[in-house]
Amino acid sequence: MTSAPTFAVVGHPNKGKSSVVATLSQNDGIAVALEPGTTRKRQAYPLSVDGRILYTLVDTPGFQRPRRVLEWLEAHSISASDHAETVRSFVTQHQGDGRFTDECELLKPLVEGAGIIYVVDGSVPYSAEHEAEMTILRWTGRPSLALINSIGADDYSDIWQAALGQFFQVVRKFDAVRAPFEQHLGLLRAFGQLEPDWEHPLEQATHFLSEQRQYRRQQSAALIAGALEDMMSFREKRTLTSGQAADVSDGSLARQLRQSWYRHQRQREQALRVAIEHLYQHQRIHRQEAELEWHSKHDLFSEDSRRTWAVSKRYLATAGFGAGAVSGAGIDALTLGHSLGTGALVGGLIGAAGSYFYGDRLMLPALNIGVLKDGLKTATFGPVQDSQFGYVVLGRAVDHWWHISQRNHAGRGFLDLEPADHHWLESLDKKSRQDIQQAFDKRRKGRPLDDRQRRKFIAAIGQSMAAYDEWRLNQT
Amino acid sequence: MTERPLRLLLDFDAQAQRDKEQPPAFLHRRDRKFALVCKEQGFAPDAARWLNHMKRLAGPGASAQAGEHTLTLWRRINAGFAGTGVVFGIFTMLGLLFYDGGQRINITLFLAFVLFQLVLALFTSIQSLAGWQPWHWLLRRLNSSPTKGVAHRLHPALMARAAHLGGFCFALAGLFTLLVLVVVQDLAFGWSTTLDTGSGSYHRLLTAVAAPWAWLWPAAVPDPGLVEATRFFRAEPGSGGLNPEVWGQWWPFVTMLWATWVLLPRLLLFILASALIRHKARQQLNSHPAMHALLYRMETPALDTGIERNDARDLPDTDTRSNLRPLPDSDTLVCWAGACEPELPEPLRSGKHLILKAGGRASLTDDQRVLNQVAEQAAHTADKAVLVVTRCWQPPTGELQDFLEAGQTLWPAGIRVVLVPLAADINQVPPLHQIQPWLRFAERLGHDFVMVSLPELDLQTQDAASKELP
Repeated sequence: MTSAPTFAVVGHPNKGKSSVVATLSQNDGIAVALEPGTTRKRQAYPLSVDGRILYTLVDTPGFQRPRRVLEWLEAHSISASDHAETVRSFVTQHQGDGRFTDECELLKPLVEGAGIIYVVDGSVPYSAEHEAEMTILRWTGRPSLALINSIGADDYSDIWQAALGQFFQVVRKFDAVRAPFEQHLGLLRAFGQLEPDWEHPLEQATHFLSEQRQYRRQQSAALIAGALEDMMSFREKRTLTSGQAADVSDGSLARQLRQSWYRHQRQREQALRVAIEHLYQHQRIHRQEAELEWHSKHDLFSEDSRRTWAVSKRYLATAGFGAGAVSGAGIDALTLGHSLGTGALVGGLIGAAGSYFYGDRLMLPALNIGVLKDGLKTATFGPVQDSQFGYVVLGRAVDHWWHISQRNHAGRGFLDLEPADHHWLESLDKKSRQDIQQAFDKRRKGRPLDDRQRRKFIAAIGQSMAAYDEWRLNQT
Repeated sequence: MTERPLRLLLDFDAQAQRDKEQPPAFLHRRDRKFALVCKEQGFAPDAARWLNHMKRLAGPGASAQAGEHTLTLWRRINAGFAGTGVVFGIFTMLGLLFYDGGQRINITLFLAFVLFQLVLALFTSIQSLAGWQPWHWLLRRLNSSPTKGVAHRLHPALMARAAHLGGFCFALAGLFTLLVLVVVQDLAFGWSTTLDTGSGSYHRLLTAVAAPWAWLWPAAVPDPGLVEATRFFRAEPGSGGLNPEVWGQWWPFVTMLWATWVLLPRLLLFILASALIRHKARQQLNSHPAMHALLYRMETPALDTGIERNDARDLPDTDTRSNLRPLPDSDTLVCWAGACEPELPEPLRSGKHLILKAGGRASLTDDQRVLNQVAEQAAHTADKAVLVVTRCWQPPTGELQDFLEAGQTLWPAGIRVVLVPLAADINQVPPLHQIQPWLRFAERLGHDFVMVSLPELDLQTQDAASKELP
């Protein structure tokens, strides 16, 4: 049984060490700032499976006085064979010395057996002044890997690669903010190349992380399905006494109901957003999205959103045919097949025609203001009468999920949910379209989905996510 | 025992509803831990054990499980149906056996009533299997908080069971009343019909009806003589000279008729409904979406990426009151950590008598030499400033701080250090976010000794950069 490897993420101040740790440990709670000295103490981030640690990342402060350290080391060493021992002695001697706090914090995990992950910023020119710290790291004798993390727009990574290759066993490029998940796994596998004993736990770690990602995707589909079920069937209801009914006009009552209906739908959408963010361990995302206001540009119900996310007439007709055909098939079943499928055909045609002619109208949810009865008056608003509302919410939800699933934990900028400019639902298969349409129709009529329908609905949303993923891939 | 799968389902559903509010990572840790403990103890983790575990952890003071409320409601409904059945059973039988001494109790009417009961019982079962809920209003009235989800889907089966229980109690009470009346009264049965039916065909009908118990109690199967003798007509007065004992010989048949065709079907259908509820409850529990999630959580190792640490808001103080100062004239310039390579911008290069290199690749001895040279130069000239050129993208480190603090001690009083951060392209003004760390560094070292300037490259862009600063 080998012990779990530890990797100390080290380097010059302000080169993105904490960003690398934040991304690899999926922790958006790590302080990351464009300010040297943000990390003051080393901090360990273990990855454990059922309480068993597979590897630990240690975030450390940057080198502050590398030349002074190197001078001390050189003065206390006789030959290369005592280098590692000399570094250990340096740490022992300078514990509590204010001048070398950062160096001691940085070197301590290395003298205790950690592997080195040296981080440089590939967007700034190579600087020879790093050579002192690279030499110190080489003195520790620990397995080492250099990461070229680009913080800015320029690219000097080739020069860095050549220079780092002289000091480190493996050199990799890794953009902590933008690297896709597959690169995280690739990087973990690269850590395993540093030492034969580390390969197995890191292989396990990548396996578990891949499974976790797959599970999160399925969970996201279930969360989106749940939100859609709620939103498609939501009805705002208010009961007024005769006194209250006299004080408020029908117009004003309708307005109030409509407003609270919208407010509830927006809150439900926000709750979905937060649930998906938490699922991916993003605890503190600041979203930059169009405020869900009536008539605003990317409003949930605006024409613009509808055009962006809702479906074309042809699409709706196809989905409508599927849903209608299923209803019509019921007639065939009742006649024990004697109608020879006419029911399905007629049902399908009716469904398709209805969707084609009425599908592009974003109808308002049904408003129903009852008459005064037994001293009480009941008014309701909703459920939404148009399936397109569901497609709008679905589109927004899948877009948000995609951004979250692609977002690294080092990213601290606003999450900009600019609506996409193309209709990705076109590539969704017919079966999924039908399942989605049926679920929408059923909920719109206030009927619950049974387990089988819910499973189909979730699977169809999973397919939508895959279609969106594919579409995004082709965009870039 | 009967309610166990149902209780399990209801409790599981209630727990699943509560779990919806919990973060997925917590749920995974919790359930995986439970599965690992089960494995250690040699048990297979299942829903019942899991629920017991949850209840045990919740402690004795925890509020009653939501499943208990639903079960209590159904117990009440069952008791209501049973009680009503008993009362109706007694009164119905009294009505059927009403005998004033001048009229026979018509076996044909009895047969018709039994058939009606049988049809009712079958209809109840069919309706439950088809999922119809014509009595839905009753549940709404009884249940102040109508349950959605799993319990809702079991309502038809639960209601059928309650109805069959009521029917069974009805039949049992009827049978009991019949037997009591047989004992305490002299009942006269006969058969009558307006249809033109002979006693032979009537006897064949009765034999067919009595077939189930013919082997068990032959006396309860009426013989042709009895059938022939006990036919009566509405207009016929009296008993027609027949032995009065013959009228009473029908009671074993009536008893078995009721027991076999009213009581037994209800009992069987009640048992069937109970079995169906158990089966459906098990089925629903196994296909419950939360069950899939629970099994996944139990089977899959819990991954912890160490996210407990949170210092994202614990950022260094980035407020600064310092501002850029105009670049002073100076003959002395120190290039820190290779900042002059490959060359200096023209405004910095011209008119300098002393350009020195420190930091970076230079050794600490070189740094000391530079400090001495600057001290010597300052002693011989009227220069009050030393320019220290740096690379703006390399943040100020402890080494530069050491160098400047040594200079402050060594150099003549009144001399100032002016830090000049250069961009990668020396002809460009450094970006704002790369100047700010230098301003804050200067502020930390002291306002009087260190300040920050930019080379006068392009007045317009420099002004713009200065204005952006706080």
